[in-house]
Amino acid sequence: MVDLKRLNERLSAAKSEVEARGETFYPGPSRIHLAAFPPKERWDDWVELDSRSWPKRVEKRYMLVPTTCFNCESACGLLAYVDRDTLQIRKFEGNPEHPGSRGRNCAKGPATLNQITDPDRILHPLRREGPRGSGKWAPVSWDQALDDIAGRIRQAIQEGRPNEVMYHVGRPGEDGFTERVLAAWGVDGHNSHTNVCSSGARAGYHLWMGLDRPSPDHANAQVILLVSSHLEAGHYFNPHAQRILDGKHRGAKLIVLDTRLSNTATHADYWLAPWPGSEAAILLSFARHLIQGRTYNREFVRRWWNWGEYMQKVHPQVTPSFDNFEQLLDSLYAEYTFEFAAGESGVEARTLAEVAQVLSRAGTRLSTHTWRSASAGNLGGWQVARTLFLLNALMGAVATEGGTYPNAWNKFVPRPIHQPPHPKTWNELTWPAEYPLALNEMSFLLPHLLKDGRGKLAVYFTRVYNPVWTNPDGFSWIEVLTNEELVGLHVALTPTWSETAFFADYILPMGHASERHDLHSYEQYDGQWIGFRQPVMRAVRERGGGQVGDTRAVNPGEVWEENEFWIELSWRIDPDGSLGIRQYFESKERPGEKLGIEEYYRYIFENSVPGLTERAAAEGLAPLDYMRRYGAFEIRKQVGSVHEEVVPQAERDDLKIDEWGRAYTRTQPPANPNVVPIPPLEPDSDGRRRVGIEVDGKILRGFPTPSGRLEFYSRVLADWGWGEVAIPTYIRSHIHPANLIAGEMVLISTFRLPVQIHTRSANSKWLDEIAHTNPLWIHPVDARRVAVQSGDLLRVETEIGHFVVKAWVTEGIRPGVVACSHHMGRWKLTDLGQRQAMATVSLDHRGVAWQLQRKQGVHPYPSSDPDTLRIWWTDVGVHQNLTFPVHPDPISGQHCWHQAVRVRRADPGDRPGDIAVDTGKAREVYQKWLGFTRPAHRHSPDATRRPYWLLRPLRPVREAYRLKQPAPAAASPI
Amino acid sequence: MEIFRALATLAEPPAPEHARLVELLDLPGAPDGPGGVEYAELFLFQLYPYASVYLGDEGKLGGEARDRVAGFWRALGREPPPDPDHLAVLLALYADLCEQEHAERDPARRLLWRNSRQALLWEHLLSWLPPYLDKLAEIASPFYQAWGRLVQESLLTEASELGGLPQVPSSIREPSPLREMAVGDPAAFLDQILAPRRCGMILVRADLIRAASELDVPVRIGERRGVLETLFSQEPLGTLRWLEREALNSASRHRSWRERVGPVADFWAAQAEAAAATLASTVKTMDSLRR
Repeated sequence: MVDLKRLNERLSAAKSEVEARGETFYPGPSRIHLAAFPPKERWDDWVELDSRSWPKRVEKRYMLVPTTCFNCESACGLLAYVDRDTLQIRKFEGNPEHPGSRGRNCAKGPATLNQITDPDRILHPLRREGPRGSGKWAPVSWDQALDDIAGRIRQAIQEGRPNEVMYHVGRPGEDGFTERVLAAWGVDGHNSHTNVCSSGARAGYHLWMGLDRPSPDHANAQVILLVSSHLEAGHYFNPHAQRILDGKHRGAKLIVLDTRLSNTATHADYWLAPWPGSEAAILLSFARHLIQGRTYNREFVRRWWNWGEYMQKVHPQVTPSFDNFEQLLDSLYAEYTFEFAAGESGVEARTLAEVAQVLSRAGTRLSTHTWRSASAGNLGGWQVARTLFLLNALMGAVATEGGTYPNAWNKFVPRPIHQPPHPKTWNELTWPAEYPLALNEMSFLLPHLLKDGRGKLAVYFTRVYNPVWTNPDGFSWIEVLTNEELVGLHVALTPTWSETAFFADYILPMGHASERHDLHSYEQYDGQWIGFRQPVMRAVRERGGGQVGDTRAVNPGEVWEENEFWIELSWRIDPDGSLGIRQYFESKERPGEKLGIEEYYRYIFENSVPGLTERAAAEGLAPLDYMRRYGAFEIRKQVGSVHEEVVPQAERDDLKIDEWGRAYTRTQPPANPNVVPIPPLEPDSDGRRRVGIEVDGKILRGFPTPSGRLEFYSRVLADWGWGEVAIPTYIRSHIHPANLIAGEMVLISTFRLPVQIHTRSANSKWLDEIAHTNPLWIHPVDARRVAVQSGDLLRVETEIGHFVVKAWVTEGIRPGVVACSHHMGRWKLTDLGQRQAMATVSLDHRGVAWQLQRKQGVHPYPSSDPDTLRIWWTDVGVHQNLTFPVHPDPISGQHCWHQAVRVRRADPGDRPGDIAVDTGKAREVYQKWLGFTRPAHRHSPDATRRPYWLLRPLRPVREAYRLKQPAPAAASPI
Repeated sequence: MEIFRALATLAEPPAPEHARLVELLDLPGAPDGPGGVEYAELFLFQLYPYASVYLGDEGKLGGEARDRVAGFWRALGREPPPDPDHLAVLLALYADLCEQEHAERDPARRLLWRNSRQALLWEHLLSWLPPYLDKLAEIASPFYQAWGRLVQESLLTEASELGGLPQVPSSIREPSPLREMAVGDPAAFLDQILAPRRCGMILVRADLIRAASELDVPVRIGERRGVLETLFSQEPLGTLRWLEREALNSASRHRSWRERVGPVADFWAAQAEAAAATLASTVKTMDSLRR
């Protein structure tokens, strides 16, 4: 008989003793299921059986090094498995220490291995030979390239042409890093991809709460409402999808609005497939149901909406009581009946009524999300986000458990070692006066703005960005990129070949996920974390006691990490410090010397991340070593309702409260290591700082909006000429049935394939094998009308040209609507380029008439990777975006992607992937949409270019906001 | 009750930290190294340590039987883990409940924790572990045999300290009979043979290889269903008779638990005996059809 009591006592004693030493007694989390991970205690020497040696049992020893995925924006944690014998990375798996992704990844995470071993990747700096775009390249040293680029930038700055330097970013790297580089140079040269991506949604959110992204707490929701395919693709989809499923497991209902039968829709309790562009009408019918039935959270609305301001500005004749406001609210949305929404959307009224009932039971546990989708497809798409958030605002499901938070409360951007001042200039090429309310740079209009003669570029960086392929109207991009008068020098910073890089002067190889540093923080649940991307082999070398000065020493070829590149370039622009630039790239530890990457991050981790020093010390590590070892750190959990926090007495020096309840103080803001962008709030007339808002006699933090409350009514919109859309409302899209000509259909072109991400994932063989083409989804009814079957060729005609594509007949799309996925139709002009996903094409033009024709699809080829001989697919789809003209929303600046098209059988000579475009017509469409704008010159209430309150990447000094130029062309209403 | 947490940990893939636990528990030898050959052989290839495999009518992982265990987690106010019915997870939960009971000062709430512990012990552990641990004792390596004995002894000690079986576990209250083979459709019948709850016996890969050897029938080693079908297609009557003998042997082993687990032993023995009877009558029917 075993003495169980004695065994128990022995175990307990041993456990106490081991844990008292700060060690773990049991070997980490349970490892019996698929979510099991190597315990972190054994990351230095992790043993697995070598799969290639099967059936022999051969042990393989790994060092596990964390980094961060660099494919989509989610910044999920990765663990690189470094073979201890060969010091090669053998695979990437999830990092269980990462609070956002929690060890889980989508297919794109592990496929990082393909990206770093891709035989077609760019490993050395290249300089073009011959004319731009001719496809001839010669190796160049980093030194030569840097000196040339730095010399031109220096010259532009010295000659007073700072606006001729532009940096155009696709996938962002570290939060704010390059903005600070540009600020240090004193140029307003930041350009982003955001207006082809998320500006529509951002505008909707920003106007409500002062912050431009949602942070839904899906895991704790009762009802999850997605206007997206967020379980399979899109920003933060992996961190969000796992929490949506957590929510579903706990009994949450999932409602999905998507015209397409997406994978997400297949998981929904309620899938609504509306006519594209009618989403806001549906959301307003839900709002009306809540309002009319008085099932909304009246107390929350009373306390937190700026209804008082609305009444005073719009209904000054009515006594501004909440009762009166509720009556107005009734009438404002009375027209949005279920029948009206059914008429607009094609979804049955009784289905809408049923879903509205489900919604009304969510209480404050309603999590909602939209990002691209309808917000990015439609004229007025920003109102989709605004009407979606209206539901949260009605239910009081704002910053509540299971509700939706403003992003900045769930994000932490640590204060860096240097913060240069705001630039003193305003760049008309990115922020033209016609679009004073655009959430981001009017990036996709750049070719047209250059052709307008509004400026030119001396040095243009495209950085992990491929506008020729990603943006609409790519031929117009080629026209300006090949014009050396307009673009003096084009530098492509890219890890891979791209359609844009072909038209560069320099191609400079940047690193993938395991080859670069970055620091990230994203709102993925109610908490704050930072994730550290690092060159894996640098960490390996340092764990072994080695020192690495420059990351090129450990990266493949001459691939560089970007932060070191920018520091080096900045030193070469201002070698003696006389331009005042160099000081922002100098060491604090060794004044006058170049800032090293070790010091840069050591400073941040030691000074700007609360709790990290203590946590690292508990493991006997310095903060930087802790981050190199674990890759992520959670700063706070359950941040909660920041707007409800009472402003402490210590912040109430000489407190003044104005007629709207806004509280102002003379107390300086407390030091905050978190520099996440928050819109600036106007001081009062005596210069006091806005500190909060009085609600029911208490001074609370409130929201960073002009009113301090949630802005049901946007005075900013009204003041800048858009009074008719200042409250959440329904704007009929440019592809509303009333705007279509007989025979036209709607093309949805923005949806993603779960395993691909823009252009860079094309150099992942595993992902290419899974998804490599984009046939046109067409409903059987339409297919019969056009007389095609799956696999037949179709011609899709847009306003400016046509493309030829294979048909895929499916009931997964509404009749009258066709859909063609993003990601596909990659091309190259010669053998040079990525050969697993890029077809070889011919590119011809006569004047403005452009043609692109496929010469050869992909095929097997010998390389360092034997798998390239096993390529079995030839079709890589069609580059449809070339045939889309620009459609800038006059308010948000978002490109409205949906297209009115004609679809017919292809002509006998047509081949799949063929493209024809008239860039003259593209100019006409640009000018037509320019006519929808209400320019600052005519509508600015204060002679500035843009409301100072609106968020803006790389914000210039306030003086630069003043209008200087005469009014541009006349405007007309939407 | 730290011992349950330690035993739970040892039901996970071997790790260097296991050596310390093995020593503290006086277990002989050690589980094999990081490759985990013995571990993989026992828990991944032969004897799956999930309650749902033994308590579900289908004899497979998941389904209603797993949902029932997950429901127990929820009733405790806990989020069910991804494998709520894995033996390691259940043993660790048992340790947690012991701790919660001991930490509770309010006598009424303490009694509630004790009742939860008792429910976990009988409903989700001892309802299936007797036949499982018997089979483990038969096929496992010496280390895991010793581990199994300690699991058995610890749980039975708990059972007797808690005052025996409060009521027959709901999962084994109703029998699930082995249905007769439909003429010309042996597939559905063979499926049932591999469901322990239906036929009152656990047939692991090693058992089927033994059957092949005893019947002198060649088989390819693969999944159990395939091996059983191969046996049956070559030697139908011999296979059924072999199964009948196995069922009877199992019944007598189950009976030997009667003193310790009462109605649980009766349930498993009755299931095995009923299965033996069904197998015998199937043999008879097939035999008569042949003639």
